[in-house]
Amino acid sequence: MSGSNRLAGLKARPKDTTVEEVRRVDEVGEARGFVDRTPRKKPGRKPSPRTYQLHPKVFPEVGKAIASEAERLGITQGQLVEKLWEVYCKSTSK
Amino acid sequence: MPVIVMASPKGGVGKSTCAVLLASEFARMGADVTVLDCDPNKSLTRWASHGVPVGVTLRGEIGRSEIVPTIRSADGDGKIVIVDLEGVASQLVSRAISQADLVIVPMQPTALDAEIGSEALALVREEEEALGRSIRHAVVLTKTSAAVKSRVQKELEAQLSGAGIDVIEPSLVARAAFSELFAYGSDLTAMLNDPEMVTGGKVDKALINAQAFTEAVYERLK
Repeated sequence: MSGSNRLAGLKARPKDTTVEEVRRVDEVGEARGFVDRTPRKKPGRKPSPRTYQLHPKVFPEVGKAIASEAERLGITQGQLVEKLWEVYCKSTSK
Repeated sequence: MPVIVMASPKGGVGKSTCAVLLASEFARMGADVTVLDCDPNKSLTRWASHGVPVGVTLRGEIGRSEIVPTIRSADGDGKIVIVDLEGVASQLVSRAISQADLVIVPMQPTALDAEIGSEALALVREEEEALGRSIRHAVVLTKTSAAVKSRVQKELEAQLSGAGIDVIEPSLVARAAFSELFAYGSDLTAMLNDPEMVTGGKVDKALINAQAFTEAVYERLK
């Protein structure tokens, strides 16, 4: 008998792949220690795309006001400077 | 067409070797074989990087969430799917087992392999109970001695048979040609016919062993 004729005799059994069935399989596996071992993503905060550093020196009262306003808004001082820059660009039509 | 899953939570027992031998032999018989490399060590991907036999397609980088849909998409008329799993106890393993028509648990004839391999057998039986259908499974002893059957091997075979576990005959003998497949790629027939492929082992005997093993697996898939 040729190879392909022999292979025609091979059959797959029907199998469900419903969410419910996968859940049952997971439960059975977990009970025996077959747990999810998918590698976790690196923990912690992702590096900021804001990489450029300014070095402005301002009067203390201005610096304190900028710092407290950023804190009140829940953003970084850099983000506040970006907002200020945006307003500045609009006002000077840059 | 059938889905064959190689499973054992222990590494180094011969899952990838079994997968390569079955894929090569079924392809030689004319089947369209898809091999899924689910092992993070990527043994099969390394094997395939040197060339795969005609009729074999390899798919890698398959994780827990992709395993079931990937098996389903690879399955079809005239196709055989062979899944090589990682050597750990994971949900990926339990999900792949649920899609199998035959689970093969390779085991070296040692007490440690038997103990850890039995976890996979127990899992198959529990999945059968949970799903309400049978999942055919069998053990194949690997890296056995060509010359003599060790006392441990005889005892292990007796224990497995006593527990009603199907043991595939013949076992896979420790042959240099089997491990060299991962260095040369393709299959044993190519290794036998290519004088460039230098091997310290007896390729002809390895091929006879692989063919007899595949025949035994074929009988279980009918």
